[in-house]
Amino acid sequence: METKKLNKITALWIVAILVLFILSIILGIIMRLNQGELIKIQPPTFYADMTTHGVTMIGIWFVAGMAAVNYFMERYVKTSYTANMFAMVMTVIGVVMLWLSTLVGNFHAGWTFLYPLPFKIMWSTWATPLFLWSIGVFGIGWFVWTISLMAAMLKKYSMSQVLAWQHFGKKDPEVSTPPFVLISMISLIGVLTCLIAAVILLILLFAEYYSGGTFKNDALLIKNLTYFFGHTIANEMLYLGLAVIYELFPEVSGRPKLKTTWYVALAWNLTLFFVLAAFFHHLYMDFVQPEGLQIIGQLASYLASLPSSGVTVFSIIVVVFRNKINWSLTNSLFFIGIVGWVVGGVGAVIDATISNNFILHNTLWVPAHFHTYNAMGNVLFSLGFFHWFSKYATNHSLPDKYSFVKLAILIIGGVGFLLAFYIAGADSVPRRYSTYPKGLESAKTLAAVGGVFAIVYLTGILSFFVNISKRCLNVLFQRS
Amino acid sequence: MFKRTFSTLLIILLISNYNSIANNLYDKQDWREEEGIYTRIYDAKIKLISGEQTSIHQLAAKKPLIVALVFTRCAGVCNPLLLQLKENIQIILRKNQYKFSVLVLSFDPLDSLKDMQNLAYRFNLLNEPNWELAVVDSISSMTKSVNFFPVWDMRKKQYDHDALLVGVNTQGYITKKLIGLRSADEISLLISDINNVYRPSYRLPTPANMFTCFNYDPKTGKNTPGWGLAFIALPALLTVGILAFLRLRGKYHS
Repeated sequence: METKKLNKITALWIVAILVLFILSIILGIIMRLNQGELIKIQPPTFYADMTTHGVTMIGIWFVAGMAAVNYFMERYVKTSYTANMFAMVMTVIGVVMLWLSTLVGNFHAGWTFLYPLPFKIMWSTWATPLFLWSIGVFGIGWFVWTISLMAAMLKKYSMSQVLAWQHFGKKDPEVSTPPFVLISMISLIGVLTCLIAAVILLILLFAEYYSGGTFKNDALLIKNLTYFFGHTIANEMLYLGLAVIYELFPEVSGRPKLKTTWYVALAWNLTLFFVLAAFFHHLYMDFVQPEGLQIIGQLASYLASLPSSGVTVFSIIVVVFRNKINWSLTNSLFFIGIVGWVVGGVGAVIDATISNNFILHNTLWVPAHFHTYNAMGNVLFSLGFFHWFSKYATNHSLPDKYSFVKLAILIIGGVGFLLAFYIAGADSVPRRYSTYPKGLESAKTLAAVGGVFAIVYLTGILSFFVNISKRCLNVLFQRS
Repeated sequence: MFKRTFSTLLIILLISNYNSIANNLYDKQDWREEEGIYTRIYDAKIKLISGEQTSIHQLAAKKPLIVALVFTRCAGVCNPLLLQLKENIQIILRKNQYKFSVLVLSFDPLDSLKDMQNLAYRFNLLNEPNWELAVVDSISSMTKSVNFFPVWDMRKKQYDHDALLVGVNTQGYITKKLIGLRSADEISLLISDINNVYRPSYRLPTPANMFTCFNYDPKTGKNTPGWGLAFIALPALLTVGILAFLRLRGKYHS
């Protein structure tokens, strides 16, 4: 792909993602302030906001990872501009359909749209098919993009090379797989698998919707498929961000490139297999699910996350430990993002442990951990890339003003916002409550505090948005 | 001439098919346990055999209810329903600590309070603390709210109806229904349910459910794997296939 075209479409992705991110944060703040009784919205509005917020956030941070991976992939293989543009068009159409279904049609079954909620219509009747079709439109665009990136890699690398299997036996194999290629491929395989799960899920849901009652779904099957798709994509988008860090962190820090070793290859191959079975931990409370699958869910949660996070943290420490680092906003965001990802990951593993899940299931601990590795993990990975790209593509070499202040605002806002979730979760405050009943006074206070800190976090994001989007718009509209 | 012949034929056709049409309509009524769950039972005014006037919701607010619908001239399922219910309740009371009342309501407008008192006497329920018998004001609204649709059979001079027990919690919500004569275990589940105690239950298979993960056989209590499980493995299998295809294609092009 020509650099200019690639730069333009990457810039367009960045601006679109940041605009949608800011709007989605505002929806999140409205929800927390409502729970804290500082403002008042009706429960259906709350749940429509929750649905919009959830799907949009998952969608934008997935495409953020994909756009970044596509950008760096061009360093190794030739990628398809058409597929990238097709994904962009489908994403825009999907977002319009999604927001219409939730904010106009008032569809409010949550981002997991767990069966049979979409068919218990308490909103405009057209909103259910529009919502499901919006997911379908996203799926088609992303499926084509994923396949095109995988095809590009598999033209150059064999299957064993792209998965770095040659590193298992030898210290210096003939062909060395760059960590970026390995982690991208591992992530894309997971993305492809979960998108296929989404296709099957949507076919089954449409079959029931359009059959007029002659076909009914099995709730357990649909829940398994929903989390196969939902849990896996939420994890893979983090791994896409990590692939970018492996590529960019040493580069911007003035250190040599990271290399794939046997333990890096092994850890990421474990992630490939086990992340696909980790979703079973979402079904611990489903007594019909056989006990064996529940145990697989717990083991897979550990085996998918611990080795990959272990080697990533080790690799980053190797880069920074006793080395002179050119600290900039980009690698600072990456570094803090890694910390956020690990903290959120620990929170996730605690919840994925069956004995703990009895207490933490469906409490605010769940949004606590996934907001940690997203808001203070994946978002920072992508912000780091956005910031670096906007400067690199515009040949902007001047140091950033107020970097420390921007980071400080982001950290203070993020940590405060997350602590309100963690404390409430540890106190067994239930999640997905529009308003808290009497007796949960502390939950209201924590929600209000969380909402205020979220406003601080939003201020930090806005400070990044102004500079990044200005430079990206320059890239987008430059003639030569 | 043609019109008259056509009309006559149509009338003959309609009369001859009346029974099957009526039966079809009857079959289409919602005689299913899962219908109307978590909807509120109609708050009908009722008169208890003690003479006290109250409403269903007021009675339920004191203790969750098992509502049994009968009529006193019933020559069919009402008697076995009440006899078995009484027997089962006695078994359950020995080991179940939950609160509940059984409310026996007549759905026949011809039944008087005296008829219900006689019914209580016949079944030896007059001094049973957990039992209430009553007549109801708005029969059709009440029966409609629990999806109970008795059909009057002119020939037998009887209502054709099923044996139905409706579990109502203290907020007046229908949380569980049982159709037919049921065991003490199942009634015990219903009592837990109306006391808002979670009880796991298995969905019964219907022809509309084609891709189930597991198939529960209520007769044997066994749960066997179903075709739905294949759908969970399918994404991984298809991914392997797509990867193999992409690699072969890549090899060919390079």
